This record gives sequence, structure tokens and C-alpha cells, in this order.
Amino acid sequence: MTLRGLGFDPLRPLGALLFLGLWQAASASMAPIMLPSPWSVVKRASADFWSAPSLAYYGVEDPSLFGNLVYTSENVAIAVLVGASLGALVGLAASRVWLVRALVNPIMLTAGTAPIIIAAPFLLIWFGVGRASAVSLVAFYVATILYLFAERAARNLDPIYEHSALTLGAGPRRLIRDILIPATVPELLGGFRIALAGAWGLEAVSELLGAQSGIGKVLEVLAGATDAQGILASLILLGVVALAADACAAALIARFAAWSAAGAQRL
Amino acid sequence: MTSQRMIEFVHVRREYRRADGAHVTAVDDVSLIVPEGEFVCLIGPSGCGKSTLLQLLAGLDAPTSGSIVLKAKEIEGPGPERGMVFQRDSVFPWMRVIDNVEYGLKCRGVRAPERRRIARDYLARVGLTHVEGAWPRELSGGMLKRVAIAAVFANGGEVLLLDEPFGALDYVTRRQLHDVLLALWDTPGATRRTVLFVTHDVDEALTLADRIVVMHSGRIADDIPIAAMRPRNDDTLATPEIIAIKHKLLAHLGLQTKGAHA
Amino acid sequence: MSAAAKERLVSLAVFAALAGLWQIMSRVYVVEAQPGEPMIPGWQILFTRTFLSLADYWGGGFGVPTVADGAARTYLAATLSLLSHLAFTLARLCVALALGGGAGFALGLAVSWSRFTRALVEWPVHFLRALPLLAMVPLFQLWFGATFLGQSLFAAYGIGVIVFAATVNAVRNVPQIYIDNARLFGASRFALYRDVILPAILPAMRSAALLCLAAGWSAVLGAEYLGAQTGLGYVIVYAQQFAYLDRMFLVALVLIVCTSASFRLAQTLFARWLVWAPPSMRA
Repeated sequence: MTLRGLGFDPLRPLGALLFLGLWQAASASMAPIMLPSPWSVVKRASADFWSAPSLAYYGVEDPSLFGNLVYTSENVAIAVLVGASLGALVGLAASRVWLVRALVNPIMLTAGTAPIIIAAPFLLIWFGVGRASAVSLVAFYVATILYLFAERAARNLDPIYEHSALTLGAGPRRLIRDILIPATVPELLGGFRIALAGAWGLEAVSELLGAQSGIGKVLEVLAGATDAQGILASLILLGVVALAADACAAALIARFAAWSAAGAQRL
Repeated sequence: MTSQRMIEFVHVRREYRRADGAHVTAVDDVSLIVPEGEFVCLIGPSGCGKSTLLQLLAGLDAPTSGSIVLKAKEIEGPGPERGMVFQRDSVFPWMRVIDNVEYGLKCRGVRAPERRRIARDYLARVGLTHVEGAWPRELSGGMLKRVAIAAVFANGGEVLLLDEPFGALDYVTRRQLHDVLLALWDTPGATRRTVLFVTHDVDEALTLADRIVVMHSGRIADDIPIAAMRPRNDDTLATPEIIAIKHKLLAHLGLQTKGAHA
Repeated sequence: MSAAAKERLVSLAVFAALAGLWQIMSRVYVVEAQPGEPMIPGWQILFTRTFLSLADYWGGGFGVPTVADGAARTYLAATLSLLSHLAFTLARLCVALALGGGAGFALGLAVSWSRFTRALVEWPVHFLRALPLLAMVPLFQLWFGATFLGQSLFAAYGIGVIVFAATVNAVRNVPQIYIDNARLFGASRFALYRDVILPAILPAMRSAALLCLAAGWSAVLGAEYLGAQTGLGYVIVYAQQFAYLDRMFLVALVLIVCTSASFRLAQTLFARWLVWAPPSMRA
């Protein structure tokens, strides 16, 4: 069996090396204050990971990249869990209850096209600087996406499954628990993955606009100090965290949507 | 043969209003009595109301007027005593094969070891023991039908409703499934379940039925008992009597045959 | 009445009810964000005093004097102010869509030409997509300054990455049967791209385009929030610093109307291009 047959394509890491090489070449021809080399960014990220005294100097509450990553991740985790459950539940309800759909659908369809980031300054006024405004912004965004995915998935579900379950003796509660929810899980998790990917940026922007902690706050102070190296180090660490979260979401899909073609693809 | 009434349609009508506003009468004053244990095939051209009649009996749809009585009780909505096999695949893709077969029993609160035993038994009878842990997407169309049949038989309903179950399958698979179905229906020592089987395939009806009810434009156009011996095969179905019925049925479906002219 | 017409009527009623509820709330909940600035400004305030106050953001020109120069607030100045800031926002969006969309699509097609290039870019693109776009505003500001070009390039980058990844993915997912069929007809590699692959990826590009529109709006607003002197996003954040909730609300409403209209436009365009596609491909 070849390496490629095992799902390993040597061209991929080669591509990553090529990318780093291009970056290195570009940084060599530019002022380090504009584009530091990849190696210096990695060194910076590891140096500031547990303790970064300069951040304390700029007034960041927790002077380490790790602490601020944790703060950002906590906010995203809370917002994604709350927003996803709310959005999915209301979406499923809207697909089956006419009144809920009539009331909620127009609002959610509008919210689905409007950039949620519009709401950030309002939330800062209503909830002030801190977790609440960032979490509510991200939660609203995640809820909107999950609502749209859940409503569409449940509406497109072939009625034959509910009919079949009814003739086998299922009651309303079983219809929801055994048919509606499991049948829409692949789409729900797909929406969850998309929402999760967008959540990091929104959380960061909310922190950039006003916060005492978080990677967004770190980016804000580093931008004030025109510290490209620090910005890139923070961004890349945030990207790694986002990648790890995405990998978890993909594993979730593989585990809970194994029955569907989408789940099988990712296995 | 028993003569206990199992199902009774009493002046059943079902009218629809189509999206364009036109009135359609899908089932037009149908009265029909089916005794317990009888295998009835409903046959007729597309749109004759045979599938609607089955949906009404399943309780997935309600008649505009008239009533449908099951064992002296008017039916209201679906119930586990009436199992249904659909034309399209209705096996739940998110449950493994064995869980699909168990599902009806689970709904009734049968305990796990007991329902697993029953489900395994029926999976063996439809020849699917080797795939009990598989996902439905890994199965062929014919195997999915076997799962659906095992599920309704395992659920133990007295009445089985089959709505063109084998319509989308190839000829060989269809013939195999006829044998599977008849073997389950005609198990020695067990009471035969009452079956209503919708089809538009004349040979399928002749192979399976005790009685063939022909529908046309929402009404019953003919009601023909089939006295041929069981188990039937191509030879027992080649008697002059059966061939005459076949020509009659083909004529009902609008197909002119040489025999019909003779 | 058809189901679609009924649905439209219901959503109109919902929005009317929301507008009415807002008005009632403005009467009931009279707390002020700061003296003279109600937390919930009623419509009668929004369309008069609030609208007039947008004149403060008028930069001058057309012989209409600015408030900063001591002129009184006029409806003309307020209208010009709103339109000019909207024009800046739309200009950023359009430049970004053209640059990012064009570059992403062209690069995506080029990379798709060979299996080797496709494999080479896979990991870097996967990582670039994982970098949260909105968190990159400071980086682009550092590189290009708080300029129109910098903000447009930032949004263009976000759009470009999406389009690039979507193009590569769409080309990979073109059903082999179409390609085989075209080969049997004797199509050259170039003809294959022009006649089979380009039309076949169009349905997939539809959802990518809608995604880009959403990302483009977010990116433009994000860039305007975090350091611009023009655009509706700038007006909102500038008003936020003084807690002028009514101005923020009015401008946000204008923005929501614009984003909705832009999505409607994109959907109509794609519906026209995709008349041949079965409904399942257009979903």
C-alpha cells in the first residue's frame, strides 16, 4: 500500500513548507516591523505564551497569551452552547408549529442576512464592557445559524419517516425524540461547525471594540504598539485554537452522524 | 378460512381540493369487507384511489365521509395494530438495522432483551442476520424492503398494509421478496395476518392474493376471488382459469390483449 | 390565497407588530442612556430629530455647509450625510467583492488545473480559512494604515479566501460522469473547463457567493468600526462613543435594509443564471 493509499499525500506538508518558504522570503525583503519571519513569530508566541509582561504594562488583565486565549475560548464555548441549543430548538419548533414559524421566521430570515456585527456597539451600551456583551453577540449569531439550519432540515425531512413511525405505534414525544431530532442531527452539526468557525472572529471583534481581556484585547493593544510580530503570534495561536475546535466538531459529526453520507465521508 | 370481519369500509369518500382549486374525489363511496386472515390485493391504474384507501386505513389520512371499522371499532389515527410498508424507503437511516426492526416493540414498551430476541428472529426469517449491526445506507434496495417487512411483522400488527412495496425493485428481487412475504404470512402454526396489498402488477397480484379488488376512478370496479392452490408457482398460475382472470385484470388496467378478444 | 402570499403577509404583519411594539416600549420604558437620549427612541424622534442629527457627520461639499462650520442641521445635509457614508460603505464592499472574488476565483481555477497544485495548497488554505477574519483587522491596519484601500483589501482578503476554497472544492466535486461524457465527445482540456466544469460549478458557487456577501458586509463593517473616518460603520461607532443610541439605531436600520436588498439582488441574479439547474442544486 502506498502512502497516498493510506490517506497521506506528501504534497500537502510540502505545500505547507512552500507557504512558510514564501513567507520567509517575503519577510526577508520587508521591514521586520511590517512582516516578521515565521520563525520569529513562533518564538514570540512561545515566549509570551505563559507570561508576557508587556501586556500587563498596556493594561491587559491577564498578562499572558494563554490566559487571554482561555478567556476568549470560554466566551465562545458558552455562547456557542447556549446559542446552538436555543437556535436548534426554536428552529425545530418552527418547522412543525405554524404559529412559531409565522412569528419567528421573518425575524430570523432577516437576522440571517444582516451582518450580526452591527449589533456589537449596541450590546456594548446595553451590557457594558465585559463578557456579557461579547457572549450575547456570539450567542445571537450562533442561534441564528442553527435556527436556519434546523428549520430547513426539519422542513425538508421526508414525511415518510414520521408516517412510518406513527404506523409502528410512536407517539408525539417519540416522534420528536426518535425521528425529528436524530434525522436532523447531521444538518444541525453541519450548521454548528459553520457557526463555530464564525464565532471566533465575532468574539475577537467584540473584544477589540471594548474588553479588558481576551485575544481581541491583546490584538488591540499590540496594534496600538504597531507590534506586527505580537499580532501575528496572537492571531496564529487563535487560529490554532479555532482549528482544534473545528476538529472536535468534525469528530462530533463523525460520531453522531455516522449513519448519514455526510458523516461517513468524515469518518 | 375464517369469516370473522377484520376490516370494514362503510361508504368511504375522500375528496381533495387541489392547489389549483379543483375538487378531486380520490375515493368515491367505497364499501368493502375484509375477513380476518385474508390476503387482498388492490389493483388499478395510477390515480384510481387505491393508495389513498390504504392511507385512510393506516390512519395517516381521514375520510371526508363514511367510516372505516377495524374489529368493530372505528379507526382514529395510526396504530400499531396496523403495520405499513411503503413504496419508498421508510427504514430510519439513523438507526442500525436491528434497532429499526425493534422500533415498534420499543414504542410499545417491550423490554430490551425480549424485543432483541423477537427482532433477531424476524431478521433471520427475512435472511438478514448478517447485517443486523449495519447502517441502512449500506444495504441494497431489496434488503431495505426486507428490513421494513421484518419491522412490521415483528411489531405483531394483525393488519398489514403494503403500498406498492416492491414497485421500485428489479424483477428477480421482487420475486424473491414475494416468497419472503408469503413465508412470513403463511407461517405454519401461526394465525395469518390480514393483508391489504396495493399494486399495479397483475402477476404480482395473482401470485399473492386470495382476492383481487379492482379500483377505477375511486370506485370498486371488480372483486375477484383467486382460488389457486398455495404455494403458487408459474405452473399453477398457468391454468385456463387464472389466465382468464389475468386477461380480465389487464382489460381493467386498459391493456387490450389477444385473450380478451378471444 | 397561495401559501407564499400568505407567508409574505404574515411576515409583513410581524414587522409591523415589531415597529408598533417598539413605539409602545418607547412610551413605557423612558429610561435615558444619557440626558436627552432615550434608550428606546420612538419613531417620531427617529425620523425627525435623530435623522437631522445625522447632518453632524456631513463632510461638506455641493455647497451644503457642515455643522462643524457652524451651520444649522438641515434635512438636506442629513440626507447627503447618510448617502455619502452609505456610498463609502458600498464602495468598500464592491471593491472587495471585485478584487477578492476575481482573484479567488481565478486562483482557484488555476490551482484546480492539476492534482498536484491542488494538494500543495490544501493545508495552507485550510489554515488561512481557520484564522478568524474579523480578528485580522489590526494586522491590515498595521500594513495599510486606516485607509480606504486597506479596509477594502481586508474585506477582499476575506472574500478571496472563501471564493478560492469554494472554487477548488467545487471543481473537485464535479461529477466524474460529466467529465467522462465530455471526454468521449472529444473535448480538449480547455474546452472541458469552459463547457463542463465552469457551468457545473455554478450551483456550488451560488452558496459561496452568498457566503462572501455576508463575509464582505461583516468585514467592511468590522474595518469601519475599528478605524475609519467614513462609512456607516464609522457613524455607528462614533455615535456609540457618545451613547447616541437613536442615531446608532437609525443607521443600523438603514444597513439592515441594504444588506437584505443586496442578498435579494444576488439571489435574483443567480436564479437567472441557474434556470437550467434542478431545484435540489439551487437550494
